[in-house]
Amino acid sequence: MTFSGELLAFLILAIVAVMGGVLLLNLSKVVHMVVALVFTFVSLAGIYVMLSAEFVAVVQILIYSGAITIIMLFGIMLTRHNDTSEVKGGRLRKVLLFLGVLGFAFAVYIGIYNLDFNSPAANLHENNTEQIGIALYTKFIIPFELTSVVLLVALIGAIILAKKDDEEEAKKE
Amino acid sequence: MVQDLLHSQPGILNFGIFFILALVLLLVILGFVTYAILAERKVMGFMQLRYGPNQVGGPWGLLQTVADVLKLLLKEDTIPKLADRPLFILAPVIAFAPSFVVIATIPFTDKLQFADIGVGLLYYIAISGLTTIGVVMAGWSSNNKYALLGGMRAAAQMISYEIPLVMSVLGVILLTGSMNLNEIVAAQENVWYILIQPIGFLVFFIASVAELNRIPFDLPEAENELIAGYFVEYSGFRWAFFMLAEYVYMFAMASLTTVLFLGGWLPIFSFLDFIPGAVWFALKFSLVVFMLLWFRSTFPRIKADQLMEFGWKVLLPVALANIFLTAIIKELLSLF
Repeated sequence: MTFSGELLAFLILAIVAVMGGVLLLNLSKVVHMVVALVFTFVSLAGIYVMLSAEFVAVVQILIYSGAITIIMLFGIMLTRHNDTSEVKGGRLRKVLLFLGVLGFAFAVYIGIYNLDFNSPAANLHENNTEQIGIALYTKFIIPFELTSVVLLVALIGAIILAKKDDEEEAKKE
Repeated sequence: MVQDLLHSQPGILNFGIFFILALVLLLVILGFVTYAILAERKVMGFMQLRYGPNQVGGPWGLLQTVADVLKLLLKEDTIPKLADRPLFILAPVIAFAPSFVVIATIPFTDKLQFADIGVGLLYYIAISGLTTIGVVMAGWSSNNKYALLGGMRAAAQMISYEIPLVMSVLGVILLTGSMNLNEIVAAQENVWYILIQPIGFLVFFIASVAELNRIPFDLPEAENELIAGYFVEYSGFRWAFFMLAEYVYMFAMASLTTVLFLGGWLPIFSFLDFIPGAVWFALKFSLVVFMLLWFRSTFPRIKADQLMEFGWKVLLPVALANIFLTAIIKELLSLF
């Protein structure tokens, strides 16, 4: 492995992503955790750019900037201002957790190290959006449409659930 | 020149050149912001039968904003005792940085552009959404109920108006067949999109005013209900950062409107093409900025429930109908 600008960029992005994840678990205030999540998601988008998937990168930011704002609002509304999460568990639990994490890291390392993707396509970066669109609407049209139906059902379900509550509360009053 | 740079081999020299160019752009934008604020005060003054600034820097008040900025920088930098310190300091940075980052993709002329990426349009919309996080952070970390209300309003408004904004430009994307801003301008060689997509333009313009948080949609900082919304507790240069972000977004949004609907750097008639593209861009850009100022001094602020209802029940269906209509017309035209 030679040292190059690409490696440097990947290292910076990867470290920021991992640090964001670790901070998300270790910080004690909800809003701080959500801010750590922002860093993780944005650096993941950076990694997508490095993999010449610019469309996925931009959509990642587009979707998650809205989603994170919503999570933050829920965090603010559902907790009190000075709420902090408590640290639970004794020493034995920490040791077991650490062993578990080590085992998982080892398994992933073994899995990734010798993985062979038989030569990735070289023209991925050309007309990225167009290629995704063509693939979605020809080869994967049925799964794509099924996904949209599932999303629609979830949306309508959410509306019905939210509406029912209102009516019941009105009856009580 | 920039095109050659973009296609050259990456290296330290390349990085240095881009860094200096970006610095120059930042200074140009600061210059714009200085005079946009002056223009705003002057135009509002004239529309309300006042003079506006007329003391500092000659009868036109040319140095008024410079004096204001100097005053801001000299102010005491206060952080409330019960504020959440790290987030309070980080919030202006997160709110400002995206506003400058989005300008990278906007083509000012056919030669002057910083990044020519395939998904330029989506890039703009995606990155500009990050500012909301900074605004909500500012609102929460100030530990002030007015600030929190302002932050909440900003989040609700930006999320509901981002959807019509994206939907309204889909018509343009359909007709061009690309999200690259250069190709969108090139496709307007004969007719500008404002003539082919009048509904799309209307929805886009209204949604963009809402995204900019300007009157009539300036609920997050409604000064007579929320004092100043999410930046009540800020002062000095941290406050200046929020203001700067707002005006840089005005610059970026006016540029984007020019590129998408007013033909970018292309002349009105092709026999007028001896006038350089930059001049055309500047003219159209100034027109859009003037429209924004005009809106500010003539419209009253609307209520929060009206804002939500207007976004979801009027703008979104109209934008969807516009996509449908555009698709049908495009198919019909390609039949013959």
